[in-house]
Amino acid sequence: MFLALTEMRRAKVRFGLLSGAVGLLVFLILFQQALSTGLINQFIGALRNQSADVLVFNAQARKNLEGSIVLPAQQAAVAQVPGVAEATPLGEGTFTVLAGVDGAAEEQDAVIFGYQLDGPGAPTTLVEGRLPEATGEAVASSRNADEGFGIGDTVTVVPNAGGAEVVFTVVGLAEEINYSVSPTLFTDFAGFEAAKRAVNPDATAVLPSVMAVRVADGADPEEVAAAITAAVEGTEALTRRQAVDGSPGVSAVRQSFSVVLLLFYLVVPLVTGLFFLIVTFQKAGALTLLRAIGSPAGLLVRSLLLQVVVVVLTGSVLAVGLFWLASRGGGGLDISVESGPVLFTVTLVLVLALLTSLAAVRRVLRIDPIAATTGAGVQVG
Amino acid sequence: MSSNPAPSGAPLRLEAVRKVYRSGDSEIVAVDHATLTVADGEIVALLGPSGSGKTTLLSIAGGLLTSTEGRVVVGGQDITDRSPRELTEFRRTTVGFVFQSVNLVPFLTAEENLLVVAELSGRSGMSRRDARQRAKELLDELGLGHRAGNLPSQLSGGERQRVAIGRALFNRPALVLFDEPTSALDTKIGEQVMELIQNEMRSRGTAAVIVTHDTRMTHYADRTVRIVDGVLSDDPVAAGHP
Ligand SMILES: Nc1ncnc2c1ncn2[C@@H]1O[C@H](COP(=O)(O)OP(=O)(O)OP(=O)(O)O)[C@@H](O)[C@H]1O
Ligand SMILES: [Mg+2]
Repeated sequence: MFLALTEMRRAKVRFGLLSGAVGLLVFLILFQQALSTGLINQFIGALRNQSADVLVFNAQARKNLEGSIVLPAQQAAVAQVPGVAEATPLGEGTFTVLAGVDGAAEEQDAVIFGYQLDGPGAPTTLVEGRLPEATGEAVASSRNADEGFGIGDTVTVVPNAGGAEVVFTVVGLAEEINYSVSPTLFTDFAGFEAAKRAVNPDATAVLPSVMAVRVADGADPEEVAAAITAAVEGTEALTRRQAVDGSPGVSAVRQSFSVVLLLFYLVVPLVTGLFFLIVTFQKAGALTLLRAIGSPAGLLVRSLLLQVVVVVLTGSVLAVGLFWLASRGGGGLDISVESGPVLFTVTLVLVLALLTSLAAVRRVLRIDPIAATTGAGVQVG
Repeated sequence: MSSNPAPSGAPLRLEAVRKVYRSGDSEIVAVDHATLTVADGEIVALLGPSGSGKTTLLSIAGGLLTSTEGRVVVGGQDITDRSPRELTEFRRTTVGFVFQSVNLVPFLTAEENLLVVAELSGRSGMSRRDARQRAKELLDELGLGHRAGNLPSQLSGGERQRVAIGRALFNRPALVLFDEPTSALDTKIGEQVMELIQNEMRSRGTAAVIVTHDTRMTHYADRTVRIVDGVLSDDPVAAGHP
């Protein structure tokens, strides 16, 4: 205790720099994680934060909502599969809408989800207002509240020639329900159908993109999904989680981020491990002397590990501070400080740093106190 | 003349100690059947040329090295067959050591270099307050009261050596071993340090073995023992005053 802390006090710059470096790296890890979560949420938040346990896609859509249509025969068949308590249509489409604040409405892209109001597929992260109760009402993604998607705002679907304008009034806001990084509305299926007809007046029937399934109490969504896929020709049923993970884009985002994260996770412990190995070499003389005057090896190892812990924790406090500043600073960066991932990251970094410090520990354990009598391998400090 | 009772035996007794270094096929007999007894409060000078086995002998007496043959008894404790772990504890509690080269922890002040001895003993050692008190007393006694807060790099060679003496005395050892304590100092400072060692040992009645290859230093000892090629012999000529 005394040895470890006194040494750190006497070499403030050296240990301070290391803590700073660890802090920056941990900050980058946290930042990357938050960015990727934020980005993924902007891509598929709508899938993650809706209430259906299972989504049934057209098998040819290859898990892509945009390319999926469920035919009437399939719709009926899905409802018959054992374990399915409720199966209702869920439509998704990207539309050009007129939205904006203070009368300065402008044309922009928005995604509209249409679900059966009392069925599965409703947004689950309502933060303000209420869910839609009638055609023409919608819940909007809270991220876009200031861009003309706030409660009380109206969003108009711009029709193609021959189509009729469709207007939605925002009655509620839900968190992380964006899709394809666009402002997103959840409305009833009839509203979605009207929007589809506005841009495609000649359409004969508007088909749902997927079927939203609520599984029976106690049923395993994964098993039910497999059963649907097997039973209903031309469909691919996925649990909510599978649908999220399988979405095009998500796995690509995840993969590229995870490579970067992996590198950071490797660099932090390598830097600390190497630092402590060098420091241990540098003070070999002092360590040998301490062993010679009767210090148990364990005491020196504990001092070393204590220093690793102090450095990583100091760095982590710094990192969380920076992260907090970054999350408040905003600047369009969409990150939030969550204690779970932060704790996980810090613990993982600490464990890895302790592991790589074993090289230094090994060095300490190999010190032969007799070397104190010859001054072998010793630098006079 | 001794004030500390040592009912369990002499501060140091070496019986037919032999140390053989093996490197590859060759064997080096560094110490050959050395027998030596140091009495209570006695200061023994161990005089010999370079490579004669002085450090080896001292290391065996100090529990840093185990002998190949023979028996080693320090302050009544037979340490001949002790495990490395037991020897570590022995070094911490029973002997004081002043080494030939590095003696101080560079990132600790003079005072902390003394306190570290108490720190190493953990809970079984003295209280923090007592340790501070003792470190202060020792440093004052060694004329270093005003240097207590200085790092080794801020001290002169003689001052460093005095701190090392304080460290060696900190745990009130039965025996203090000095390996060429003046070899890095010029003659005048060296003599001052020897005088200090002599005073400190005498006032405490602590026994000491002082290794040297300098005959001018032997008069600070009660007795001089010569070592040549690992073999000990009493030296009647160089015997100092009692
Ligand atoms: N670890 C070792 N392995 C092999 N031989 C050694 C080892 N240590 C010492 N020796 C040899 O043992 C002999 C005695 O060495 P020791 O260090 O005890 O001498 P010394 O009297 O202290 O010499 P100096 O006055 O130079 O310090 C020397 O010949 C030395 O080369
Ligand atoms: Mg020597």
